[in-house]
Amino acid sequence: MTATVKQDGTRVDCQVAVIGAGMAGMAAAIFAADHGLSVVQVGKASETSFSSGCLDLFSCIPGRKPDKFEDPFKGIDALISRQPDHPYARVSRDEIVQGFEMFTGFMNRAGIQYHCTSRTNQHIITPAGTLKSTWCVPSAMIAGTRALAERKQILIVDIRGLKGFGARQMAQSLRATHPCLSSVTVEFPGREKAGDLMCERLTWDLETPDVLSRFIKVLRPHTGGYDAVGLPAILGVYRFEELRDKIARALGTEVFEIPTLAPSVTGMRTKEAFLGQLSQTSVRHFPVSVASVRTDEAGGFRFDVSEGMNTLDIHAEHLVLATGRFMGRGLGVNPDGTVEERLFDLPVVQPGHRSDWFKKDFFNAEGHPINRSGINTDKVFRPLGADGNIYHPNLYAAGSILAHQDWKREKSGSGISIATAYKAVSHLAKSLETS
Amino acid sequence: METEVLIIGGGATGTGIARDLALRGIDCILIDRKDINAGASGANHGLLHSGARYVFKDGRTAMECHRENRLLKKLAPHCIEDTGGLFVAVAQDDDNYIADFPALCSKFGIPVTALSPDEALEKEPCLATHLKAAFEVEDAVVDPFMLSLDNAADAQANGATILRNVRLAGFEIEKGRIRVARVEDVRRGKTFSIKALEFVNATGAWADQVAAMAGADITMSYSKGSLLVTQNRINDRVVNRLRQASDADILVPGGTVSIIGTTSVEIDNLDDIRPTTGEVDAIIREGADMVPGLGDARYIRAYAGVRPLVRTPGGKGRNISRNYTLKAHREDDIDNLVTITGGKLTTFRLMAEKTSDIVAGRLKNTNPCLTAQQPLPPSPKGEWTEPGKAPRVWMKNPERRDTLICECEMVSEYMVDEIVRSLKQEGALPTLEEVGRRSRIGKGPCQGTFCSFRLAAYLYRQGELFGDQGMDQVRAFVNERWKGFRPLVRDKELMRVELQEAFLCALFGMEEL
Repeated sequence: MTATVKQDGTRVDCQVAVIGAGMAGMAAAIFAADHGLSVVQVGKASETSFSSGCLDLFSCIPGRKPDKFEDPFKGIDALISRQPDHPYARVSRDEIVQGFEMFTGFMNRAGIQYHCTSRTNQHIITPAGTLKSTWCVPSAMIAGTRALAERKQILIVDIRGLKGFGARQMAQSLRATHPCLSSVTVEFPGREKAGDLMCERLTWDLETPDVLSRFIKVLRPHTGGYDAVGLPAILGVYRFEELRDKIARALGTEVFEIPTLAPSVTGMRTKEAFLGQLSQTSVRHFPVSVASVRTDEAGGFRFDVSEGMNTLDIHAEHLVLATGRFMGRGLGVNPDGTVEERLFDLPVVQPGHRSDWFKKDFFNAEGHPINRSGINTDKVFRPLGADGNIYHPNLYAAGSILAHQDWKREKSGSGISIATAYKAVSHLAKSLETS
Repeated sequence: METEVLIIGGGATGTGIARDLALRGIDCILIDRKDINAGASGANHGLLHSGARYVFKDGRTAMECHRENRLLKKLAPHCIEDTGGLFVAVAQDDDNYIADFPALCSKFGIPVTALSPDEALEKEPCLATHLKAAFEVEDAVVDPFMLSLDNAADAQANGATILRNVRLAGFEIEKGRIRVARVEDVRRGKTFSIKALEFVNATGAWADQVAAMAGADITMSYSKGSLLVTQNRINDRVVNRLRQASDADILVPGGTVSIIGTTSVEIDNLDDIRPTTGEVDAIIREGADMVPGLGDARYIRAYAGVRPLVRTPGGKGRNISRNYTLKAHREDDIDNLVTITGGKLTTFRLMAEKTSDIVAGRLKNTNPCLTAQQPLPPSPKGEWTEPGKAPRVWMKNPERRDTLICECEMVSEYMVDEIVRSLKQEGALPTLEEVGRRSRIGKGPCQGTFCSFRLAAYLYRQGELFGDQGMDQVRAFVNERWKGFRPLVRDKELMRVELQEAFLCALFGMEEL
């Protein structure tokens, strides 16, 4: 049975409202729709455009001497024995796996296929010339991951005018461990006279068959003898597998993408695929932000969203708060210097005085104290109020807004988002069933 | 190596001395353990004082500032933006102090013009509305980097040698004379000796440490001063608070930004000089009394320098003389060392002249000092440090196939090529740090998040970086900018830091290296 969002004039009624359209918001909307619930999702997803396209689960416990793990589940076990407050301590391995399966299954139907091996993290090359450890690698990048692992001959190509993406930088930086990497710089066809090139622009260019074949011609003299060719992520927002296969066939090598700095095509691709597939479901999506939420007479939530000229009055029985941290505006700072949660003014685990928020070394291995501030919840991710009890029985929180984690150093961003959204929505669905 | 004079310290004074000596036909080598203006000469307001600030306590400094101000405007106009300046008093400022100001200025020959509060507001709409008093003075803005780089360049053109990243390790002294300085090339880890007849200690806050190596004693105190850079330019003229010197008294415009400061915090050692959140809060609070817009302005950077103050009996904090100290070290039984420290950026030329007079006298060189007559020639070395120059050049050449590496300050590949060429001519390695110091890269709102990587990628592509050098340099570059951003992070700034960490840590894993 699938419930549908009801609209009567400007009043909209749903069982679940998901606030936020980043990774946690996307996951929560997918899971709630999968449970057959009526869902409204609100949020701009601006952060998703920065995404590398990979899904991280876990690879590092930050500390004076960081503990790195090839097996993310071993890492998570070690993590929760040391940090029982961590969001991962509230989800089981099965819940993580089921959440990832459901999320990647949805994205797969949307045209993005992920590859993961069940027990170990994989590696991708980054534009900084480092190897990033991650769990699920999108198919656009997988050939690079495999070629690296198998020590094959890899050519990295960069494009004159496309800044912040240096093939020679990557090959040189990884030379000590991966002497199989080489680099070359090429001109992009039709853009030989341009100063600044943008990934998005080149992506649209490549959609033209003529540009694509000229690009292949530019590449061909350089790629002989290589097993795999790495390109900046510019192979189309919607048809990237097709473009990649065309280039690969023409060159007779494997072809893979390397993520770029913001705004990235990989991020755009994730967002577009999600929104495209979401439109096949009953979820109503509003790409706007929410200024405030209040509770309604029936014990649910009410808020306004604008749609064109209209202001809709949304009534939701349950609400999943997936508003993120400072970039997503889920958290902010009061004039008195305390960190606040912006929609409900929920109690926030404080990071101490402003002078202690950050370490002197930006790259400090223990991480900055402010990264661990956020929302405290119960076992099913319902935020706690000032009295230590749940703030509202129908309010849930998921993703990076949660306290006691440092996703950037743990490499756990997508994992925390997907796992906590999965657990929260499962509980929410069950409580709807029993009522 | 062998020379007539070895100058230690490449700040405004050291480079000024190198030029002065070279123009007198004296052979000299200048060494700096880091780079030109790496110390206090590169961490100040960039204010060319009218002298009015010193009329209460130090008439001599006031008069010297006035003379040097006029001289530099004439001889080095390309380093100066002649903005003019104001002194203003607000409600809580001391009436007696205000009343004494014009008379003291005329006593020392410092030109001032009294303005009505309305006239002052018309000239500077950023000012607080209820001014008690306002005066116009001849303040101006000077680019300290261009000034020192041009002094160094002209010194070189006249035969001087400039060695950067060369650290003094010790002196070899024989019968009251320094025979040789043992130095270390920090980058290449090589030690060598420089033999000279005369030695000049122009190391600013480090003057006591260098003097001690020669067995000479100087008692110094260190006063840290922190400053904040706003994202936008707030004022046209220099604005001074007319009161006893305190925090956040001076707002100096420069290019597209304004700089407010400073604090005065006594510190014990010179390691890890950085601005604190407490200083930032104090500067913003105090500054807003004079210019209310400072209260909610966006700031892009805080930085701190150390005032080298030589202790005299009874002096403390802001009461220690801001005048310079010139020591010939006769009483220390060292015949061929001169120490010059303290003083102001405004009077650097005069300090260089006085020092060079002693050195030239000892060498029996009777050629006169020429720096008060000969204009300072502009050199290409300092040209890209000027705020606003890069965008002007970029906009004039829209057809050029040139990629912007730093979008905030519009520094392009072409400009980086120029800087790399000039660095290599000096025998320097074109690192991110060096290119950064010679340009505005990393100094705009993104503070290095994107441009540090773009610059590294470009330098790799040009074959200037090898192996994993780039990663270390990006880390150092980002941390140097972070030092100046960390105390400023209050609310909106958190978004930028989060984005930066998402790239550098979550994606690149740079904290794991």
